[in-house]
Amino acid sequence: MKFFDALQRIDRRIIYIVMGLLVIFPLVKPLGLGVSSGPRARTLFDAVDSIPAGRTLLISVDFDPSSMPELYPMLAALMRHAFARDVKVLLCGLWVTGAGLADKAVTEIPPEYGKKYGDDVVYLGWKAGIDAVILGMGENIKNVFPTDYYGHPLDSLRMMNEVVRLRDIPMAVAISAGTPGYTDWLNFAQSRYGLRLGAGVTAVSAADAYPYLQTGQLTGLLAGMKGGAEYEVLVQKKDYSRAYMPAVAAMDSQSLAHVVIMLLVIVGNIAYFATRKRGA
Amino acid sequence: MKRTIPLAIVLTMGITMMVQFFVPHPVSVGYYDLTTRWIRIVGAFALVLGTGSFIMFHSDKVRRRRQGWYYSIISLVALVVTTVIGLGWGIRPGSILQNVIYANFLVPLNASMFAILAFYMASAAYRAFRARTKEAALLLIAAFIVMLGMVPIGASIWGKLPELAEWVLSVPNMAAKRAIIFGVALGGIATSLKVILGIERGWLGGGKQ
Amino acid sequence: MHVSTDILTWVAVVLTVGIFSFLWKDNPFYKFCEHLFVGISLGYFISLTWYNAVYPDLFRPLFVQPLSEVSLGNKLLFIIPLLLGLCYFCRFIPRVSWLVRFPMAFVLGWGAGVTIPAVLQTSIIRQMQGTFLTPGIFARWDVFLWAIISFVGVVCSVLYFFFSREHKGALKVASETGIVFLMVGFGASFGYTVMARMSLLIGRFQFLLRDWLGLIQ
Repeated sequence: MKFFDALQRIDRRIIYIVMGLLVIFPLVKPLGLGVSSGPRARTLFDAVDSIPAGRTLLISVDFDPSSMPELYPMLAALMRHAFARDVKVLLCGLWVTGAGLADKAVTEIPPEYGKKYGDDVVYLGWKAGIDAVILGMGENIKNVFPTDYYGHPLDSLRMMNEVVRLRDIPMAVAISAGTPGYTDWLNFAQSRYGLRLGAGVTAVSAADAYPYLQTGQLTGLLAGMKGGAEYEVLVQKKDYSRAYMPAVAAMDSQSLAHVVIMLLVIVGNIAYFATRKRGA
Repeated sequence: MKRTIPLAIVLTMGITMMVQFFVPHPVSVGYYDLTTRWIRIVGAFALVLGTGSFIMFHSDKVRRRRQGWYYSIISLVALVVTTVIGLGWGIRPGSILQNVIYANFLVPLNASMFAILAFYMASAAYRAFRARTKEAALLLIAAFIVMLGMVPIGASIWGKLPELAEWVLSVPNMAAKRAIIFGVALGGIATSLKVILGIERGWLGGGKQ
Repeated sequence: MHVSTDILTWVAVVLTVGIFSFLWKDNPFYKFCEHLFVGISLGYFISLTWYNAVYPDLFRPLFVQPLSEVSLGNKLLFIIPLLLGLCYFCRFIPRVSWLVRFPMAFVLGWGAGVTIPAVLQTSIIRQMQGTFLTPGIFARWDVFLWAIISFVGVVCSVLYFFFSREHKGALKVASETGIVFLMVGFGASFGYTVMARMSLLIGRFQFLLRDWLGLIQ
């Protein structure tokens, strides 16, 4: 019984060290578990795949560095998918501290496909007033964003001559870490302007998105880093990209981390019930 | 005047914005377009409130030499330096704000702040997550199914586990979350109506003015 | 192993370690990083608000663009939001601090007005449509069964939150059934939360092992 008492009193820092080492190990020595794509990611992939070449995919970058490992791989994979199919990409964001991440994607990814800023990709930037931004874009994007993130007037960007309002966009994907995020796009862009919307969300909020999937309000869902990994695999399977896949590379660690947490819960419960029985 | 006019503005704006949703007349659309532009401008100014409070709080802490006052100097200096660099050199690609401050200061600080939560979760899972009741056991089982079913190792243990996890999420979880959505939406609508009708006046602040 | 020689990568590493040091215990290094983060975030916010919002939406059309580009009438229309915005500054002048209520009233009234019909449509009407049993569910036995379970789950979970009557008899049975669904829902959220938190940690380790130490490709 002393053993169970000792288990109950184990120092939190030992748990931290075990946890840390078990997460690091598969990053250095991958276990090779592989990643398969679920139905929600496939639905989103098929929807983006069906956008005709030359049309525009809107991506709303509604996250910041705190959720970068989960959501940035989705943003990169979606952009690669679009560019490989000659679909143009329009980016905007509702999170001010996420602006730099969208800027990073716009700077790094289009050159991989020989795409040119202004012709194939435009980053509108961030604006205050969430619902006012979305509703304004429904009427006229240039009214909301007279200039892009870098200060170029929208009239000077060729791509923006074909995209005047949200109705000119066949599909949008909101990559959201919370509020503001995909629910705002549903509330204001879909209910009023009928925008077809897919979502990439942090795993924390993934379970909350299922009612919107069931009604068809959301076309596909990428949930957390696993969702990003699923999309990366789909993009690479169709030979749209050969780039490094950070989410796929993390999946072995993710698996092991989940097993560790489950073991901790089980061992904690065993120790608790063993000592409680004795106390009773 | 100090309370009546703001309440009248709220009432007018609330009612007109609700009505214009159902009236696609050019006058209604024009009004909607104009107020939407204004709201974005006014919304941007709200930053003044946060910045003012931030500067007042930290400068007061330094002035009165309260505990940890020297850390407030770091916050104030960081604010001034970032703002000067941002406003002075701009946000174009390759700018100091983007390439140095954002990429090498803001990103690691923000990402690490949230990354350490994983350790607390591990510790809490070990110490606090007890299956004391039937309901807690049910929660635990659902959590285990999702935890295993949603990562590659789940499929390696049992091929049907991802499907089971998807079912848990699509059927019972969906039903529970929809009930919560109903509650939140109705609560939000009720609060909005209370604000428009002047029943909820907390935003006016205290005092007799 | 190819350790980075980029000084900025090393800065990012030092800051990462500074935040992680809180795991051991609260310490001055962590506090330094924490306060640095707060100051930088606000400075970044101010810079972006100027370049992405205030300058293009207000300052440029009102003060920079000539009358040939923006008519006098349109310029005057910008005066109203400018005055409302300036009222926010009054918050810090005690004698006129009440003026801050004007922009707040404008924003609150506008927000409440646009939110009601939008939320009603997205979260009430569409969600109720999704809950109703339609002829389409008879196409397959499993679709039918899951639709019935979902319907029962939604109704019972809503009834669990109905506190205007004591939970006795049929209402007790329904609310207890509702708890089962809610617990499964919370369990699913917890499972996903574990995934989220671990992902963030893995992301940081990927940075340390890849960008800094060059241990992984």
